Formats: sequence, C-alpha cells, structure tokens
Amino acid sequence: MSAHAASAPKTRTAPARAPAGFPMGFYRYRNYVLFAATSLFMMLGCAMLLDAIHALGQGEAAWLAFQARMARPYYLATSSVVLLFTLYFVIRFAWVGRKIAAGRIGPIPRPPVPMFVTGVAPIGGFLTLWLILLLILGGFLP
Amino acid sequence: MELHKVKFEVLRFRPEQDQQPVFQTYEVECMEDWVVLDALNAIKDDIDPTLSHRWSCRMGVCGSCGMLVNGRPVLTCAAFVRDYEGTIRVEPLSNFPIVRDLVVELDGFVKKIQRVKPWIIRKLEKDLSEGEYRQSAEQLDEFKQFSMCINCALCYAACPVLANEPEFVGPAAIALAHRYNLDSRDEGNAERFPVLDSHDGVYACSFANECSQVCPKHVDPAMAIQQAKLTDFLEWAHILPKKSFT
Repeated sequence: MSAHAASAPKTRTAPARAPAGFPMGFYRYRNYVLFAATSLFMMLGCAMLLDAIHALGQGEAAWLAFQARMARPYYLATSSVVLLFTLYFVIRFAWVGRKIAAGRIGPIPRPPVPMFVTGVAPIGGFLTLWLILLLILGGFLP
Repeated sequence: MELHKVKFEVLRFRPEQDQQPVFQTYEVECMEDWVVLDALNAIKDDIDPTLSHRWSCRMGVCGSCGMLVNGRPVLTCAAFVRDYEGTIRVEPLSNFPIVRDLVVELDGFVKKIQRVKPWIIRKLEKDLSEGEYRQSAEQLDEFKQFSMCINCALCYAACPVLANEPEFVGPAAIALAHRYNLDSRDEGNAERFPVLDSHDGVYACSFANECSQVCPKHVDPAMAIQQAKLTDFLEWAHILPKKSFT
C-alpha cells in the first residue's frame, strides 16, 4: 500500500459510556450535580435581591409591600433553600481553596496555612452574623 | 499455590457482529497472587482467544491496562483478584468510544494532551557548550508531583465533567500543562494559555475530585486544575506575567 494513499476507514466504535454511578449513583457525582445546581438557586437569590433594591427605590409603601410578600411561607421556603445552596457553594469554594494552597503560584510564594484558616473564619463569622440577623428580622429572636 | 474459581463478567464488543456491547461470563481458576490482568490474560490464552485488551508492562508504569473493575477505573495490573468479592465485572474505560472489547479509542485523549504543548518551550535553546539548564531541588519540587502522570486515562474515565462535556480538555492534559507552566526552565505559558482559558479549559471543572481519587500515581490532577485556574486568572488580570518570548 502506498504511503500516500488515504488511511483505511476507521473501525466502527461503540459510543462512550458514562462513568458507573453517574450522575446520581455515587456521592462525588451527586456533589458535582448539586454544585452545578447552586447556580440556579443563586440566580434566584440575586433576583430576590434585585427585587428588594427595586422596592427600596420605590418608597416606603413598596418596601412594606415587599416585606409583607417576603413573609409569606412560599417566599420563606424559597429563601431558606437559596440560603442552603449558597452555604453549600461557600463550603465547596473554601474546599477548593485548600487545594490551591498546596503549591507555589508562579513568583508568588506559598501562602501560609493560617492565611486560609483566617480566610475561612471570617466567611464563617459573616454567615453566622447573617443568620442571626435573619432570625432577628424574622421575629424568631427578641 | 492454591487455585480458586472466580467468575468474571467482561464487556465484549465485536464491531463486525455486535450492535451494542454485551457482557460475557468466564470462570477462571485464579492463583492467590493474581491481579485482574492475569485473569484476563488467562481468558485470552486458555478460554477465548478473541478477547481483546491492552497491556504491556504489568507493573503500573506504562498505563496501558486501565479498565473499569466493578465500576471503578483502575490499572488491572495493580488490582488484585483477592480484593474483590463475588463476580468481578470488567469493562472498558468510560468516557471513551469502544474500539473492541476492552480496548478504547484514545485519539481524542492524545490530541488533548498535544493541545497543551507538554514540552519545554524556550525562545532560544542554549548551545550545548553552555551546559545544561540548572534547576534547584526547590524548583523541581514545585512541579514534580504533576510529572508523575503515566497517561493511563483513568482520570478521564472518572471525570463527570467529561461525561457531560466531551470536549473538556481534561485532568491529565491540564495537570501536564500546569507541570510545564511551573517548570523554571519553561517559557511557554502564553502558548498554553488559550487552551487552558478556553470554554473547554480549566473553568469547565467544578472540582468533583474523582480524578485525584482514581489516579494510580497520586498526581492529584484536581489540585493542578484548581491551581491552574488561579494562575490563569492572575495571568488574565496581568498580575502574573505570561512567560513567553515567541
């Protein structure tokens, strides 16, 4: 056979198979799907935030109406789900930080481990304060 | 040495006769110290010579014998039969088209590896008379872990992102790109930047970490990808210079 001849047509192949346990049968794949799903709920959270800012700009009556709307069980449940997914995202993101910390990044020297401890701590503190504030605003705490 | 019968379910695909892959069962008399690859070789030698599978070194170095054993991507030369209970199911690596039986199509994998230019890129090669490129132990430590990859493709078989996005550059290729970007002798990260920064590059990874779990050489490609994300961002933001003179 001439070296210039076209190569032989490829053998028929069977299509690639998904990994065993994909997408929901194995906990790391479930985490992957859940992490992807956080984007939807965080977008929903952003929409609610924009709604709040819009209501603030429309005067006191609009703000009171917004608050009344947010106090409905449906909105409370939605807010709780958004909060849970946001927390999940933050925890996963902090976990990625642990991996990034392992090496030197170009000319930037290896960051000290305490930097990440102190980096995670403020996020945790902020979330705790946020939760307490939500409980106070929700009337669950005096 | 004592022999014991073990049942193997092996996925078969013969393109000339099978429309879909099908499982075929074999009973093999295994010795206590056999690995799954020994059993596959015994099937091919003594039971069914039509069975096709890849292997070469039998010592976890060449990366040829990667397959799914009971659903997990492993090097079959390092997977002892005694560690499994009941029937052992052997399948070709997931996320790759199947050429025949346990042999998968690796062209796409090799092309992805080539895309990231996994070699040292220099503007000017030194003359031989100037001696070798010197590197300290500390400089070697920065990338050595990522240079241990044997291209076995187990990480690709485990990756959920690849199951959804087949064009994703993938763990091994990104780990290799990161390895050369970290190498003090290399000046080519600007050439690798477009691939790593592309739609199919580092940001497609959402860190399932399964690639690092199955890596037989403990390369930790998930770590390489997350570090590459940060490096990529710093280069994009011009906080880090892109090493290139080409």
